Amino acid sequence: MKEAYLGIDIGSISTKGVIIDEKNNILASSYIWTEGNPLGSAKKLLALLEEQFDKEKYKIVATGTTGSARNLVGAMVGATMVKNEITAHAVGTTTLHPNVRTILEIGGQDSKIILVENGVAIDYAMNTLCAAGTGSFLSSQAKRLGVEVEEFGEIALSSKHPTQIAARCTVFAESDLVHKIQMGHSKEDIIAGLCKAVANNYLNNVGKGKKIVPPVVFQGGVSKNIGVKKAFEDALGCEVIVDENGHLMGAFGAAILAGRSSKRREFDFSVEDMEFKTRDVNCGRCPNNCEIICVYRDGVLIDSWGNRCDKGAIKVGQKAAN
Amino acid sequence: MPRSKTKVSFPQFHFYNYPIKYFIEQGLDAQYITAPKMINRTLDRGSKLSPDYVCTPFKGTLGSMIDGLEAGANTLVMTMGVCRLGYYGELQEQILHDMGYEFDFINLSEYSTGKQRDVFRAFKRINPKYSLPKATKTFLDALKMVEYMDECEEIYYKNCGFEVNKGSYKKVYNRFLSAMDTATSRGDIEAGYKAFKRQIREIPLDKPDHPLRVGVVGEYFTVMDPFSNLEVQQKLCNMGVETYRYINVTHRNIHYNKAKNLRVGMEDYFKYEMGPTSTMNIWAAKDYAEKGFDGVIHIKSAGCTPEIDIMPVLQNISADYKMPILYLTYDTQTSDTGLDTRLEAFYDMISMRKKVI
Repeated sequence: MKEAYLGIDIGSISTKGVIIDEKNNILASSYIWTEGNPLGSAKKLLALLEEQFDKEKYKIVATGTTGSARNLVGAMVGATMVKNEITAHAVGTTTLHPNVRTILEIGGQDSKIILVENGVAIDYAMNTLCAAGTGSFLSSQAKRLGVEVEEFGEIALSSKHPTQIAARCTVFAESDLVHKIQMGHSKEDIIAGLCKAVANNYLNNVGKGKKIVPPVVFQGGVSKNIGVKKAFEDALGCEVIVDENGHLMGAFGAAILAGRSSKRREFDFSVEDMEFKTRDVNCGRCPNNCEIICVYRDGVLIDSWGNRCDKGAIKVGQKAAN
Repeated sequence: MPRSKTKVSFPQFHFYNYPIKYFIEQGLDAQYITAPKMINRTLDRGSKLSPDYVCTPFKGTLGSMIDGLEAGANTLVMTMGVCRLGYYGELQEQILHDMGYEFDFINLSEYSTGKQRDVFRAFKRINPKYSLPKATKTFLDALKMVEYMDECEEIYYKNCGFEVNKGSYKKVYNRFLSAMDTATSRGDIEAGYKAFKRQIREIPLDKPDHPLRVGVVGEYFTVMDPFSNLEVQQKLCNMGVETYRYINVTHRNIHYNKAKNLRVGMEDYFKYEMGPTSTMNIWAAKDYAEKGFDGVIHIKSAGCTPEIDIMPVLQNISADYKMPILYLTYDTQTSDTGLDTRLEAFYDMISMRKKVI
C-alpha cells in the first residue's frame, strides 16, 4: 500500500481537489463550481475524486485544505494541514516549475502576484480593497454580452482592433463598456478590450512596483482565458506559461504541504455521508459581540472560530443546542 | 460658589491615556474621565458621523469622544497634528455640537504656536488656578511614564512570541500597564517600571538563535493602536516572530530630533519631508533592512496620503536589500480573516526564505 495525499482548494467560485502520490504525480483531480455551498461542493468533489482513486493501491494519509473556505472544509474532512492560498499556490507552482520567477494569479474574487527566487517566494501582493479585474467581473460581463465566459478567450483572439476600455476600477470599466457597446463596437473587439483591461488593471494594481522577471507563470481560473494570457504577453513582452493544471495549483500545493508535514491522519471517504451544519453565534459576553462560527458534524461541535478572547471560548464536543 | 471640577477626556489612543490622565489629575488638579476601550461600536458610531473619505483614526477618535462624553466628561481635548490631523479637532467639535452634545472643547491646534505661554493658556482652561511648578514637574513625570511604557512594550513584543508558558508575558505586561494606570506619583511610576523589569527577566523563554525578525512601520495612529490595526503585532508574535516598531511617542515626539538628521545618507531614496512620520518610517525601514530583518510590514489607514507617498520609496528599499515588505491598508471594514490570510502567507514566505538562505 502506497501513501497518497489529498489537497482541496475551496474558492469563492470553484472547488478544486487533487490526490497525489509521494512523487507529486496527480492520481485524481476534479474541478467543480462552489455555487455558494462550500460543504456541499466539497462532498461532491470528494465523490468525484473517489471514483478516480485506486483504494487498493493507495491510502490517503494526510489532507490539506486551502482557499477561502479552508477552515470550514478543513474541519469537515479532518485536515492535517490548513494553509492560506498564497502559500499553497507558491508551493504548488514552484514544485512543478522550479525555475519560475513570477507567478500571476487571478481567481474568482481575488488576485495576487508572487515573486520567486531560487524556488522560494520572496515577495507577494494581494488585492485589498476591491475585486477589480478578477474572474467574477469577467463572468458578469460575459452575461451582459450573452457569451459563455469559457468562450471569451477564443473570441478575443479573433479581434484585430481591441476596444480601449477604461481599466482601473470595475465600476468605471463597466460603464465605459456599456458606452462602447452602444457606440456600435463589435463584440469581439469589446471582449478583446476587456481581456486587455483585466491584464492592465492587474499590472497597475496588484503588480504595482513589483519587478516582473520571466519565466512568468499565469494561473487561477482566469488563466484558462487565452485572451487575457495574450494581453499579459503583450504587456510584459515575454512568454507567459499557463500550465494545463494551473487551475488546480492551490489544491496541488495544499496536498504537497500536507505530505511534507509530519502530521498524519488517514482520510476516510465516509465524510460524504455525514451531515455538517454551521451556525452563527453572537458571543454577547462583552460589547465586542464577536461572531463565532460553529461547525457541527452530526450534531456535535467539531470546530469554532471568530472568537477573540477566552470569554467566548466554545468547547469542542458540545451538542448543538437547537 | 466653588467652580466645579473640570472632567477631561481624551480619545483612546493605545496606552497613552495613562500619562495624559496622570498629568491632568496630578498636575492640573482636574478630573480625568478615561474613555472606555475602543470596540466595534465605537468605530461604528464614529463612522456614521464622519465624512466617508476621511482616514479611519478620525472615525475612531470621534466615536471615542462620544464614549467619553457618555462616561461623564464635560471637556474634550484633541491633539494637534502635522497632516490633516491638525484640522480634525475643529471638525469633530463641530460634528459633536451639531449632534447636540454640550461640552468644552480644547483643541491643541489652537495652542501649538510654538510659544510656551500659549500652552499655558490651554492648561488654564482646564484649571484656571493650576500651579505651574507642579504642572511642570508632573509633565516631566508623564513623559518619563511614556518612555517607560514604550520601552516595556518593546521588550514585550520582542519576546512574547517565545514564552514557554503561554500568557506569562501578557500577565506581567498587563500588571505593569495597570500600575501606570493607577500611578499617582513619580514613585509609583518607578516602582511599576522596576517591577516589570524584574519580573519579565524571570520568565522562561524558548528562543532559537536566529529568530524571524519583522519591523513594523506606518501611519502614526494606526500602527501604534492595537485596536485599529487588529493587533497585527501580537498576531505576528503569536506565530513566533520578534517584532519591532521604532515609531512610538518616545521616538517620534519626545526624542525626535530634526528630521534632517535622519535623512543623512538617504539622498538616493528621497530628499524632502513628505509628512509627519515619513522620514522616520523610511529611516526605520532602511535600518531594519541593514540589520538583516526578514521583513517589514507597512501599515496605514485608507486615504492616508503621507503614507501612500512613502510606499514607492519603501519599494525601492525592498528591492535594493531584497527584503519583502507587506503593505496593509485599514479601514472600518477591514476583516480579521483577510488580515490573517495575508499575515500567515507573509510568515510562511519569510520562514521558507530563511531556510534557503
